[in-house]
Amino acid sequence: MAKSDEIILKVENLQKSYEGKKAVDGISFEVKRGEIFGILGPNGAGKTTTLEMIETLREIDGGSATIDGIDVAKNPYKIRSIIGVQPQTPGFQDKTKLTELIQMFAAAYGERVDPKKFLDEVNLGEKADAYVESLSGGQKQRFSIVAALVHNPKVFFLDEPTTGLDPQARRNLWELIKEVRDRGISVILTTHYMDEAEILCDRIAIMDRGKIIQLDTPQKLIKDLLARGFTKEQKVEQANLEDVFIDLTGKGLR
Amino acid sequence: MNVAWIVVIALVVLRIGWRLFVKPRRAAKAAAAPVKPLKPLSPTQRKWYTVWVFFSINIRRLFRDRLALFFTFLFPLIFLFVFGGLNSGNKSVSFNVAVINESKVPFAKTFTEQLSKNKAFKVDKDVKNFSQANEKMGRSELDATIELPKDFGKPAPGQIHPSGEVIVHYTQNNEQAAQTLAGVLQSVTESINVHLVHTSTPLRVVTERSNQRSLSAFDYTFTGLLGFSILGAGIFGPINVFPELKKMGILRRLHTTPLRVWQYFLSIMLGNAVSGLLSIAVMFLVAIGVFHLKVAGNYLELALFLAFSVIVILGIGLAIGGWAKNERQAAPLANIVVFPMMFLSGTFFPRFLMPHWLQNITSFLPLSPVIDGARLIATEGQHLWQIGSQLGIMAAWMVVVYIIAFRVFRWE
Repeated sequence: MAKSDEIILKVENLQKSYEGKKAVDGISFEVKRGEIFGILGPNGAGKTTTLEMIETLREIDGGSATIDGIDVAKNPYKIRSIIGVQPQTPGFQDKTKLTELIQMFAAAYGERVDPKKFLDEVNLGEKADAYVESLSGGQKQRFSIVAALVHNPKVFFLDEPTTGLDPQARRNLWELIKEVRDRGISVILTTHYMDEAEILCDRIAIMDRGKIIQLDTPQKLIKDLLARGFTKEQKVEQANLEDVFIDLTGKGLR
Repeated sequence: MNVAWIVVIALVVLRIGWRLFVKPRRAAKAAAAPVKPLKPLSPTQRKWYTVWVFFSINIRRLFRDRLALFFTFLFPLIFLFVFGGLNSGNKSVSFNVAVINESKVPFAKTFTEQLSKNKAFKVDKDVKNFSQANEKMGRSELDATIELPKDFGKPAPGQIHPSGEVIVHYTQNNEQAAQTLAGVLQSVTESINVHLVHTSTPLRVVTERSNQRSLSAFDYTFTGLLGFSILGAGIFGPINVFPELKKMGILRRLHTTPLRVWQYFLSIMLGNAVSGLLSIAVMFLVAIGVFHLKVAGNYLELALFLAFSVIVILGIGLAIGGWAKNERQAAPLANIVVFPMMFLSGTFFPRFLMPHWLQNITSFLPLSPVIDGARLIATEGQHLWQIGSQLGIMAAWMVVVYIIAFRVFRWE
């Protein structure tokens, strides 16, 4: 399923205050079915708080959020069964096989699944009987993503998914996230990496001090900036250091 | 050979049989069989399926975790061996004594040999003279020194049978032992006197053992240790595990799923009841096999009662662990709750040693009815319906602690 115009997530005038300080100050946006939506912003801009309110983890102080027509504040359990969440640092209990963890996550949604099928999807079939603590950083991220998708959610949230990964693992994860989108799942992610946002996101919202200050496709935002007469010190190289790194070490996953 | 050893041997045989025969066959079958499509679950089945998966995977996990296995199975056994050894050793009173024989008369030699055969005495053969004896008495290694003076055993002037004095030396902190010892020696010499000089004994004391079964010190120790291990598993388990799960964000992640707190709690309750009963079963096997514990009650009733006990005490752990954000919050609170129970509920010494008013108060602590009930069923052979007051107190605590646990639970 490709991108469509159907609205899956609708956020209206969402607010959250901590001790009188407004962490999220009346933001509104919409996410369409099958698009990757990025939320960018410096630390403390309110990105994580926004995600956590939509994920039902934090109470909504004002405004509303609806996913697939269901109100987040009124039906938290219904919402939880149609969203998948990948936290910033994925943690799993130790001494547990990957197949068992998949079973547990599926069971948390009341689903019975064949874990092997899910592990094969992210090239972890060989690791099926391994414990999660034996996985590398990139493998853990891929596992975490597939664990969040066992119940075939409609919206998938990722909080800074590629922080701390090597360039190979990052590229692999981008591909994986695009595959998720191509299955018709809307992806909402936060990131600090502009290259990631530019390559991955269909649309981005830039947040600062609890407000959304810009919202559009990355290409449009860049074009607008150039149209305002912005110039950057010109570079003649057609490659950067990361290209050199990938050229030397290959795209193969470690 | 008794029941405990038969059970242990049967379990070992079953385990080896499983490894050698059943497991490979099942694996071969599973590999050969085509993958069956999974049947969809009904909405009610789904709820219980969740609990079942969490429970069964966590039980499997316990058996992979060496540290958890140590604390679940071996740790209580260490306590059992230490306290069981202290209490069930030699039940008859015996005195450590040295015998210094300074007499050359053969009768004195025979007398000395008879003393070493007497069960009431443990004669220290290394002690040869008074300076050694005094040194050992000073360190309380000896209760007393028995001296047979030079003329011991020589017939008194004008008599034909041996005569003399047995002198008991003791230090000031052994006064009581010395008195008792003197009494024992008195009866020893009297019985010899009877053989030497024929006299009639109009008044005698005869002791006879009654057949009424009584509780031994070990019965109290054992049920106390049961309580101790239930307390340890039920409270220290969750307060160590929950802060760790919170720190790693595992609970937070579960919070993003529709998993309900009651499903999560129930899976933990079942898991702890199973691991608790297994650990208690091991304790029973050791107590029966090594310390000759006699179980008078019904094993099924005992298992039901102990499973209930595990769940009641676990509620306290769930409340503290579920509430605490980190170890620093959990540990002090757990200690405040655990230590009074450890000393006032009869884990290390029985409650009947306390003054009456204290017994009355402490009978309402959550652990007291657990220990009393276990003792009443296991060693006194009572039935569940006869220990209503214990069950009532436990049920009341269960309601209270689980209401608190559900109220204060935090996913992160």
